[in-house]
Amino acid sequence: MMLLAVQVGSKRKNNSNGMGNGNYSGICHSWGADGRCISLLKILFSNCCMYDCKYCINRCTNSVKRATFTPREIADLTINFYKRNYIEGLFLSSAVIRSPDYTMEMLIKTVDILRNEYNFNGYIHCKTIPGCSKDLIDKLGNLVDRLSINIELPSNESLKLLAPQKEKTGILAPMNYVSKNIKQNRLDKNKYKTDFVPAGQTTQLIIGATPESDLKILKLSENLYKKLSLKRVYYSAYISVNNDKNLPTLEAPPLLRENRLYQADWLLRFYGFKADELLDEKHQNFNNLLDPKCDWAIRNLDKFPIEINTADYFALLRIPGIGVISAKKIIRARRSFLLDFESLKKLGVTLKRAKYFITCKGKYFDKVYKFNSSFIETNLVYQEKLSIPNKSYKQLSLFDNLQNSNFQFSSFQSEKQKLLLFNKIQPSKEDKIKCLTGNL
Amino acid sequence: MPNWKLINKTYLYDGTFDGLLTIVFDSYANKILPQKIYSQDEYVSNFLDKTLFIKSDYEKSQRVFNGIEKNIGYDALYNSYNAFLSNEKEKEIYILKYLCNGFDIGPKINNMLTVSYVFKVINMRKKALAECHKLKGLLRFQEVGDNLCYASIHPDNNILEPLGHHFINRLPTLNFIIHDKNRNICFLYNQKEYKIISGEGLSIPSISENEKMYQDLWKMFFKTIAIKERTNPRCQMQYMPKKYWKDLIEM
Repeated sequence: MMLLAVQVGSKRKNNSNGMGNGNYSGICHSWGADGRCISLLKILFSNCCMYDCKYCINRCTNSVKRATFTPREIADLTINFYKRNYIEGLFLSSAVIRSPDYTMEMLIKTVDILRNEYNFNGYIHCKTIPGCSKDLIDKLGNLVDRLSINIELPSNESLKLLAPQKEKTGILAPMNYVSKNIKQNRLDKNKYKTDFVPAGQTTQLIIGATPESDLKILKLSENLYKKLSLKRVYYSAYISVNNDKNLPTLEAPPLLRENRLYQADWLLRFYGFKADELLDEKHQNFNNLLDPKCDWAIRNLDKFPIEINTADYFALLRIPGIGVISAKKIIRARRSFLLDFESLKKLGVTLKRAKYFITCKGKYFDKVYKFNSSFIETNLVYQEKLSIPNKSYKQLSLFDNLQNSNFQFSSFQSEKQKLLLFNKIQPSKEDKIKCLTGNL
Repeated sequence: MPNWKLINKTYLYDGTFDGLLTIVFDSYANKILPQKIYSQDEYVSNFLDKTLFIKSDYEKSQRVFNGIEKNIGYDALYNSYNAFLSNEKEKEIYILKYLCNGFDIGPKINNMLTVSYVFKVINMRKKALAECHKLKGLLRFQEVGDNLCYASIHPDNNILEPLGHHFINRLPTLNFIIHDKNRNICFLYNQKEYKIISGEGLSIPSISENEKMYQDLWKMFFKTIAIKERTNPRCQMQYMPKKYWKDLIEM
């Protein structure tokens, strides 16, 4: 089986009189109030944009304050932040000033000062401006670690509607060009003096501004990974900043959808899944209650339970709750001992979700557990919900039930207490039916 | 270690890796296991313990050091040294068991993850290196003189050395001091060589106007980069625990 994933990051080395080096696994230097990692100095060269993309705050028809840096200002700022260990490198993007080619030239000038004047060997990520000429891409690609061009929206129609001045070909052609150049550069290392875009290229698209389904978006990503060997596709939930008749009005950004897409993206790159397996014509969007892997597992219960001691790496990876690290640990540990549930816990494998889908030495986790989709699904969904603290617990007392001698589920206040009982006591026939219809 | 004799003694050593390797040498040669091992400075005396101080012997420790690489492999050396840097209380006894068994079993010991001391040593290594990696990002230098930078840190584990090496590779043209305030030790680097010394009597000059400007710029960048609609302080705190905040400029 082939994995789409390739390690990210750049291994650029430092020299004795230079400053900075690339770290293969990446280093986060801080975390913003939104919980997102800050590793690069992420700035716009300018916000004086000549385009009128409907979703963007810097569109030319908006009245916002405009400013443009000089290349030297950015280079100085980067060096001084880097020296103080605030950042891992520079992420330079820009609005389109005057023309795509002019903007590209300014970006090249900035990076050139950093690399050749300051001898800076840290990480630099640059945006390619859609519609610029090829020799400028070559120049920039030999200086930076990573290039990216934003796809912006998942389909050509949406692009026409919301970003009328950008064209699909203007975005895809440079992407194609970069990917071809990278391949050529890697194949013939002796011929080229420098690595062309050593950390590969990435792209980004906006989720929720247009009506495309998750299936369509995921297929697009899969194609980008396969055909253009992109390192990452980034999804960003749409936040409304402008009012326009073509834009949807959302109260909050669709963060859950973004999260589901990222989960599925990981499944494509590291777990050997295909977009068609995760979603199909009947299920065009992800399940809100379950993550994509659990959802897939419940729909394909015939492939389970999987025996931990004999399954191969890729079968292990398909078990919900077992990731790359756990799967590798299992493979390593079972060389010396047969594993049971106790030893899995010792290894640090989380069984919260996995326990429903595996056997150890031929045994299932608990006799009470039913191996059918409705039982597993209800339990998984409730597990997720119960991890949110519920304040309606109370201490059980022996005397609570003295008055009503019949033991009734209704005497328990919270869902958790009901469920705890479910796991220990065999549910009655009626309860099973309720369980199926979801009226628990 | 099937026929090893467990003796009712508490070993004390000087707290260096050489000292621990000397204990490994003695234990392996005599086939005995002590009850507990403590660093001399951390030990609080107790009338139940029979203590024995083991003096560091450079020759013995070098033999063990080379023996580990030869017989158990580089991985074991890497695991045991980095586990030694962690602040786990009973790290010495786990490392001793791990190494002594490693000499009998060979490189396969690293696969035996369900054996408690192997698991423990690997986990201690992970914990120490994870904190080192976190501080590679969270450390903040301040310019206190001409081409001289100072940073203070409060790490749980004793990771000053690997951390210092990272910055030597990254900023070889800078003079810097990294001060571990929990242990009061300093990592000094002067563009040629490095030294780890006690931090006693270290006085740091106040920061310049220029330094203040870059700190303010960084604070402003930090504030603006967060997206207001997605504010999530719990997530932020999970990645950047409060114990590190006192050394951060932006928090």
